[in-house]
Amino acid sequence: MADSKRINKEDTGRLLDEWSKEFSVSVPSRENGMPAMLPWDGKDTSFLEWYRNTVIPPKANFFPPYEKMFDFQKGAEGYHLELPPSDKQKQLIFGIRPCDARALTILDTVFQDTYQDPYYLSRRANTVLVGLGCTNPYDSCFCTSLGISPGESTDVDLMFTDTGDGFFIEPVSDKGRELLAATGGLEDGLEADEARAKDVKEAAYRKITRRIDTGDIQQRLAACFENQDYWEKVAAKCVSCGICTFLCPTCYCFDINDELSQDEGTRFRSWDSCSFPIYTRMPMENPRQEKWRRVRQKVCHKYWFYPVNLDITACTGCGRCIRLCPVNWDITQTLNNLPASS
Amino acid sequence: MEQRLRSEVKALLEQGKIDRVIGFEPGSLKFTTTPLITSDGGDVDHLVINPFIVNNLSVYLTGTSGRVGIVAKGCDSRSIVSLIQDNKVLRENVVIIGIPCSGVIDLTKVERLAGKDRDELDDIVRQGDKITVTVGGERKEFPASEVLFDNCLGCEFPTPREYDILLDEPVTPTPDKAISEQKLDSLREMPPEQRWQFWKEEFSRCIRCYACRNVCPACFCERCFVEESEPQWVLPVPRWQDNLIFQVIRSIHVAGRCTDCGECERACPVNIPLRSLTREMCNLAEELFNYKVGIDKEAPPLFVAYELEEAEDLIR
Amino acid sequence: MPFSVCSIGILHFTGVKLKQAKEWEPKLLGFLCRWCSYAGADLAGTSRKKYPASIRIIKVPCSGRVDPLFILKALQMGFDGVLVSGCHPGDCHYQTGNYRARRRIAITKKFLEYAGIEPERIQASWVSASEAVKFTGVVTEVTKGLERVGANKLFTDERQGDGTATAQ
Repeated sequence: MADSKRINKEDTGRLLDEWSKEFSVSVPSRENGMPAMLPWDGKDTSFLEWYRNTVIPPKANFFPPYEKMFDFQKGAEGYHLELPPSDKQKQLIFGIRPCDARALTILDTVFQDTYQDPYYLSRRANTVLVGLGCTNPYDSCFCTSLGISPGESTDVDLMFTDTGDGFFIEPVSDKGRELLAATGGLEDGLEADEARAKDVKEAAYRKITRRIDTGDIQQRLAACFENQDYWEKVAAKCVSCGICTFLCPTCYCFDINDELSQDEGTRFRSWDSCSFPIYTRMPMENPRQEKWRRVRQKVCHKYWFYPVNLDITACTGCGRCIRLCPVNWDITQTLNNLPASS
Repeated sequence: MEQRLRSEVKALLEQGKIDRVIGFEPGSLKFTTTPLITSDGGDVDHLVINPFIVNNLSVYLTGTSGRVGIVAKGCDSRSIVSLIQDNKVLRENVVIIGIPCSGVIDLTKVERLAGKDRDELDDIVRQGDKITVTVGGERKEFPASEVLFDNCLGCEFPTPREYDILLDEPVTPTPDKAISEQKLDSLREMPPEQRWQFWKEEFSRCIRCYACRNVCPACFCERCFVEESEPQWVLPVPRWQDNLIFQVIRSIHVAGRCTDCGECERACPVNIPLRSLTREMCNLAEELFNYKVGIDKEAPPLFVAYELEEAEDLIR
Repeated sequence: MPFSVCSIGILHFTGVKLKQAKEWEPKLLGFLCRWCSYAGADLAGTSRKKYPASIRIIKVPCSGRVDPLFILKALQMGFDGVLVSGCHPGDCHYQTGNYRARRRIAITKKFLEYAGIEPERIQASWVSASEAVKFTGVVTEVTKGLERVGANKLFTDERQGDGTATAQ
């Protein structure tokens, strides 16, 4: 590849250093053992050893667990709103996995559908995504069933592939091409690197063994939508916590709350989950009082309603919902065991 | 034990003594189990008992109708007793199938010791007090005290006290408070400001997924105080202040109900050491009021009971 | 929680802000049972007893009404300490309310101390309707204790989204 580059692993810190001059760089970091994409401390590159994927998905870097929307004061003329200063800082996320990068492409469809969400979109516009192909996916991963290759991505700006002692770097977008051109100290990619990278990508692909059957999935979900017995059975062990939805890289539901004191206050938005019995209780009632309806909604939303409305499946097979579920509820089992008809 | 469990459950279902059973079946990931809630006799052969039966299944009792057979370890059985004390469960509606438990394996500890993630391990085998972990063909042996959950290491009641069927001989308790409460002790040594700082940092990570609350059998309120909107005690916004108030109050609400099963900490996706709060609550109930949780189903709950003279040194 | 409204919630939601004098003085929130301690405080007032003006009083039907949540919420709102006061053991208008309160307060105080809140901030007393002198003594001592531990900065945060409801 003409515009590809290569770098030795021990130079990763130097590269991040260079990028830190222009960007606020986030890398996989562990906070009390919990991995997330956090600001780089300027020295630690040990994530190259342990990093497989984060617990908190990188959506949090664009759509955080909570954020202040604005402050407001009541005056004689009505309410005065004060927006938080818009974040102009350019950020770079290093090491995002192909599944999570795809998730951002999926979230883009929501946050700029009929309403342009300024908070999400401004961060998105200011960010460069540097992907890092998986070499060691989890046993809960099933991205290949969703048309994602764990070693490749069209959703990032730059793609890194681990070739053993170094990385093979390919630009994916124009943004990535520009960044790569402006980055010094990189050698040109060799044919041998490219061949090695190809092997690594294929090996990663083969490592993913968990599968879901996506063939005519919308029809199959439609066919058993009314099958209460099935949904009650699969939902029986669910405890209705928010792990699978909060930590899903494509779930975007949020709640809005005001903190009030006398004539002023702050409006926040924070992650919300359709698993919660109190979901949407604020405007009226939750139409999905029973647990099985909520579980059905979660599955159908990702694999049926979302594709119908926005032409993209809202799951990337990252496996977080399986890996992190306290009762091992497994969406792949739910989908693979769908009865043929109700 | 497993064979006996299956035949007992089969018989109970056939004789109509229970409508459904709550037990464990193999999980979809290596070294995991998952709750099995079924009324189908055909599912009974999936029931397992192994060192990975982490969940406290009594959390499902309050939402399950009819007569229920439930597989219970020592701590789980005490949770059931506590639910009976609170009138959330009727004793005659449950058939407790007790497992004398010698502790459950904490996979995070195994991962740390083996230097590999759960799914990268080839095998984990427990034989008595030794746990053998095979990684990449290499066998490593660890004493159970390094691999079991902290709460299991301090367990005083490994054998269920309340049961209808006990699947094996009782296990002799060998609680080691020092190991079990290492994290708590290190907190106790800190000055108060540092402790508060510790919790402030821990709760900055909380995303309020409520897994801790929802896996907890003692958290049976139909509407949790965090979900009240008039007054809104706590904003559903995961700021550390609100997160900390939520968890501290939750700990107080489960005082006298928490059996130190450790599920809250295990369920937490962001690794907040929640057991360091709930275990202290168990200690306080015992120190101040000589109350051990889930021992006597006839006894009034901790906050209902009182002595004429107690705790006066704390009151002016 | 069966109660949807209580005084401290109203305090919060009608947006009563704690005004602070230029120089810091302790602010103490007192939950006084209507049968004994509130009457005791009333008697202290009508008998012109002097005691620190640090205390703001919320009348509760019984000390047993005080949920540990009220205590923590008051601290989050910026009060420096909380005093729960009820009838002496054996004198509860509802027979056992104060016994229940005693267990709850003891656990709360010890537990919050373990979490890192100074024990001086969580106080309880038994004050009967005739004990005006005891009431002034309790408030004086508790206030002194709060002066020792200083202003409550437990919930303040330099970062955005300050979780304290206190202004200025």
